[in-house]
Order: sequence, then C-alpha cells, then structure tokens
Amino acid sequence: MRILLAEDDPMLGDGLRAGLRQQGFQVDWVRDGLAAEREVASGEFAAAVLDLGLPLQDGLNVLQALRARKITTPVLVLTARDAVPDRIRGLNLGADDYVVKPVDLHELGARLRALVRRSSGQSQDVLRCGDVVLEPSARQVRLVGELVALSTREFDLLHALMLHAGRVLSREQLEQQLYSWGYEVDSNAIEVHIHHLRRKLGPDLIQTVRGIGYTVARSQEPS
Amino acid sequence: MSQRPAQSLQTRLLTMVLGLVTVVWLGAAVLTWFAASHELDELLDSHLAQAAALLVVQQTQTEGDGDGGVADAPELHKYAPRVAFQVFHEGRLVMRSSNAPLLPMSDTSVGFQTVHLGQRQGKGTSWRVFATRGAEHDVQVYVGEQVGSRKTILWAVLRSVLVPMVIALPLLALLLWWAVRQGLGPLRQLSAVLGQRRAQALEPVDLPDLPLEMQPMVQALNALFLRIEHMVASERRFTADAAHELRTPIAAIRAQAQVAQGAGANTAQRDHALQATLAGCDRATRLVEQLLTLARLEAASALTTSPAVCVDLGGATRRIAAELAPGALARHQTLELEADTPSPVAGDEVLLGVLVRNVIDNALRYSPDGARVRVALQTEAGQTVLRVDDSGPAMAEADMARLGERFYRVLGSGQQGSGLGWSIVKRIGEVSGAQITVSRSALLGGLAVVVCWPSSHLG
Repeated sequence: MRILLAEDDPMLGDGLRAGLRQQGFQVDWVRDGLAAEREVASGEFAAAVLDLGLPLQDGLNVLQALRARKITTPVLVLTARDAVPDRIRGLNLGADDYVVKPVDLHELGARLRALVRRSSGQSQDVLRCGDVVLEPSARQVRLVGELVALSTREFDLLHALMLHAGRVLSREQLEQQLYSWGYEVDSNAIEVHIHHLRRKLGPDLIQTVRGIGYTVARSQEPS
Repeated sequence: MSQRPAQSLQTRLLTMVLGLVTVVWLGAAVLTWFAASHELDELLDSHLAQAAALLVVQQTQTEGDGDGGVADAPELHKYAPRVAFQVFHEGRLVMRSSNAPLLPMSDTSVGFQTVHLGQRQGKGTSWRVFATRGAEHDVQVYVGEQVGSRKTILWAVLRSVLVPMVIALPLLALLLWWAVRQGLGPLRQLSAVLGQRRAQALEPVDLPDLPLEMQPMVQALNALFLRIEHMVASERRFTADAAHELRTPIAAIRAQAQVAQGAGANTAQRDHALQATLAGCDRATRLVEQLLTLARLEAASALTTSPAVCVDLGGATRRIAAELAPGALARHQTLELEADTPSPVAGDEVLLGVLVRNVIDNALRYSPDGARVRVALQTEAGQTVLRVDDSGPAMAEADMARLGERFYRVLGSGQQGSGLGWSIVKRIGEVSGAQITVSRSALLGGLAVVVCWPSSHLG
C-alpha cells in the first residue's frame, strides 16, 4: 500500500517513513505543501499523512485545494495543533482522520489501513475472495484456512487487487501502487508476481483482461 | 483581609450635602437667636425706660391732689399681667399695677436690674425692672416686665426659622437623592455595561455622551483592555507554537525509538534510528533550555533592571567563539573573530554572554557547510558594536522583520530550530539597552547582525 508522507521536520519524517515501511507500507516523503498537493493529486497513493505546518503551502490549504479538485484520496492529518477548534476545522476541510503528535507508529499504520479500507467500501479489516482470506494488519493470506507464504510484493499486489475487487487494474496502476520513487521496475515484474500468486493460490483467483490488466472477482459477502 | 464595607457614592454625597445644609441652617438659627435677643432686649428696655419716664412725669404733674390711696391701673392687654409698675412718692406707694408687689421691685433707685419676684404666689418669676426717679428725688418709679415674655418672643422668632427647615429638609433630601442619582447615571451605566460583559470580552467600552470626568477613566479602561487583549493573543500564540515546537521533537524521538524497536535483524536501520533518537533528545533539550532562558528573561525584566555593571564583552566573545569553533570546523565553516579589548558594556555578564552566543550560533546554524562567519567587536567613543556577518543564504525583507517573534523561523531553511534564539537575543537587547539591526551583509553576502550598545548607556 503506497502512502504519501508530507512532513517538513527531517527527523520526524525520517522516523515516520522508516516506521511505516517496517509495517509494509510503501512510503514516499515530500517536505512542502505544494509537492504534497501535486503528489496526492497524481492519484498514485492509497492515502496521505499530512502535517499542517508545511512550508510553501499550509497543510489545511493543501487539503482544501485537494477537496476542491474532487480528489478523494484519504488524508490523515498529523499535527501538533491539538485544540478542539483546530480538529473540527481540519475534519470539516476534508481530513479523514486527525491525529495529534506524538503518535504510536502502529496506531498510525492501523489508522491508515482503516482509511484505505473504508475508502474502498470495505467495513471489515479482512478481505475475502472465494477461499482466499487476506488480513492487511497481520499481512497474512490464508487459503482454505491454511497460511500461505507470500513475498512483500506478492502480498501488496494481491492486496491492491482485492481492495479493488470487481475493477480491472492496469499494469501501470499496479506498479504505481506497489513501488515508491527511485525503484527501477522491470517491465515484466507484475507478470512475474501474478504468475507466483496463481501458483500459490490457484489459477482462478486473478483473471487477466487482455490488453487492459488484471482483476479479482467481487465475492459475495458471507451471510 | 479586613476591609470596611464599600460605601455608596450616592449615600456619601447625600449625607454630606444634607449634613452641610443642616449645619449652615442651625448656624443661621443660632445667629438669628443672638441677634434677635439683643435687639429685643434693647427695644423692650427702651420701652420700659420710656414707660417709667412717662410715669415720673405724670406723677410730678398730679402731685398734691393725691388722695393718699394706692391706685391700681386697669389691665388693658393680654400682655398686661406680664408688665408691672410701681410709683412711690416720698417713700410711699402711690400707684401700682395690680400685679405689682407692695414693696419696691428693685434695690437700685436708678437703672436696670433683673430680679426674682413673686415668691408668695407659689413660684417665682424673673422680672426685668427699670427704676428711675423724678428730678427732686421725691418720685420713685419702677417698671418691670417678665423676662419669660422676652423668651416667648425669641422662641417665636426661632420657630419661624426652624419650622420651615424641618419641613424642608426631608423634601430637600428627596430632591437631592433624585439629583445625585441623575448625576451618577453615567457611572451606573458604565457598571451595568461592564457587568453584562463576558469575562473574556476585551473589546473597548463604547458609551455615548460620556461626561468629561469619566472620559479619562474609560480611556484608561479601554487601554487596559487592549493591552490585555494583546497579551492574551500573544500568550495563546505562544502556547500553540510551543505545543508544536515541543511535540515535534518528541514525536520524532518516539517514532525513531519505535523504528529501532521494530528493526529486528536490520542493525543498520536500528543504529540509524537510535542515533536519530539521541539527536532528537539533544534537540528537545536545547529547546527546553531556550524556553527556560526566555522564561527567566521575561521574569527578570518584570522585576527590575539589575544595577548596570561594566562588563568586558571582548573576553566573553572570545570564550564563546572558542566554544562554538569545533562545531563550525566539523562543518568546514570558517569562524573569524576580531575583538577590541577592552570592550566595556553595561549589563549582566551572563545575559550578554547568552546574547553573543545566540547571535553567533544562529549565523553558524543557518549557514551551509563551508560558509564563513565573521565576528567583529569594536569600541568607539564609548560605544560598543558587535557585528556578525555570514556568507549563508540572505533573508527576505519580510522574514527579517519577523525575526525575534517567538518561534518564528524561516520555513524551508532545512535546519532544525525553534526560532527561540532570536527571541532571546531581542529580549536581552531590550534589557541591556542595545539596538539590534538585521540586514544583508555587504561583506559576506549573507546576513549581518549588528548589536550596538550606545555610549550614553554607560554614563
């Protein structure tokens, strides 16, 4: 899951990026408000962590500009401004969550997963598709109850497809969601990961839509 | 605390005015009493004397045809019993009023005397008696008048003064109460306006048609409100900024510590995170120290300005530069010092040291690696000037103007700082009477900070 981190403090930004990466997020870090707005608007990120006191453009202005442009990427505001009117203003301007510094990294991760889950219309943390069950917080995948060992990329790829079950995702879209900046992505990397996933979880889970991309069928919610 | 209960202004005014009116009125009554009493005595005495003279003349003319009996004069007026007379001829009582005794009323033969008569009638009365006699000393006349009747007249006069007063006083009190109440209306209005305000309301009081006497008071009040508003706003901003500045390093420390905890076998990541944790602690420590310095400064300036002692700034500057030099060398920065000795400045040595340290530290901190920082300390005609030039990035005019606001720092400088250093410099400058100017350095292209202690300050 790819997250944009907008934070101007070098030490805090470094810590947040490392901590979120430990939890399996792909993290890209920008240090000013204009870059934050531009990157969130690109649509490559599943969610954004936004500090309010950013140079060039204040975080709240970034938020306002994004929502004015109908960009619905979930935004978690992380700030030292803890007064209730500040929180209310932040949420009213379109923040999906408002967290006051300092924050526990695991809590931050859980909140981000919850934001992404809700934004994709899921109400439960666990994603299901047929016999395959994916738990984002534990980063585990089970096939008919049995734990399946997946690499980080394989897990992220499956997570992205299952989050958008019923939709076709192109190779470029999947690459954007999987790799943060600075990674050289092999042209057939996605195909290789798909191949491995089919081998581990069965050939029917992921379908290829020729010339467009890949999709996972939306499963019926278990009654 | 024992305090007298607050007194109403209205009651005070009313009491004072009514008291004064009563005193003046009573004084007038006493004066009237004495004046009337004196005039009355003179008038009535002259009547007695005149009546006596008439009797003498009459007795002298009717001499010889007296039948030897004592004639009683008829009572013709209600006041008649209060008046009495006796006429003696050659020692014999020839005529008297019916209320006059048989013996002479007075001991003296000529002149006025106040005597006590009528013992035999049960209770005695005081009489004013005038005695006189004829030219041949054969006729002796006494004319008397009850003293009580004079008192009665005097009381009547006094009543005419006092009765209107007794009737008028309550009426006057009522009218005064109304008038004072009207007069104090603006005060009551002000207190009502103040009473209705919320505790946090700090907007100025605006009352139309304010009396002249109350205008300075309301102006002072409004000025106070304005000052408090500024203070509250500044404190609120400080709290918000302090929260941000304190929380960010703590959040960083926490995040880095958690990264180290979760690094597992990745020792490189763990070491990096632990190092960042320590750096975060140093940063938080510095911030707390700066906050404490600032708090102490504000407290110190609130107390008194300490007695001006002459300090040699040259030595202090050299010491501070020596302390900061290793850090500068580590970043390949050049630190130059050119200091006159002695460089006398009046002030507290510790505070002045803090100022010098912050100015030099700021120049080093916000200049890139390899930059040049030049510190010059000169004394000319008793005026000491500290000048710190750096070759770092210059600052926008707007940013220079805002330097010294607590927690203000130029965003995007890439340096971790709280902006407190400048507040401290500015504060010490104010306390020690120095002028601080920030401009673009003509010498090195970066920032030039000039701190100038005027010579008059030493005088």
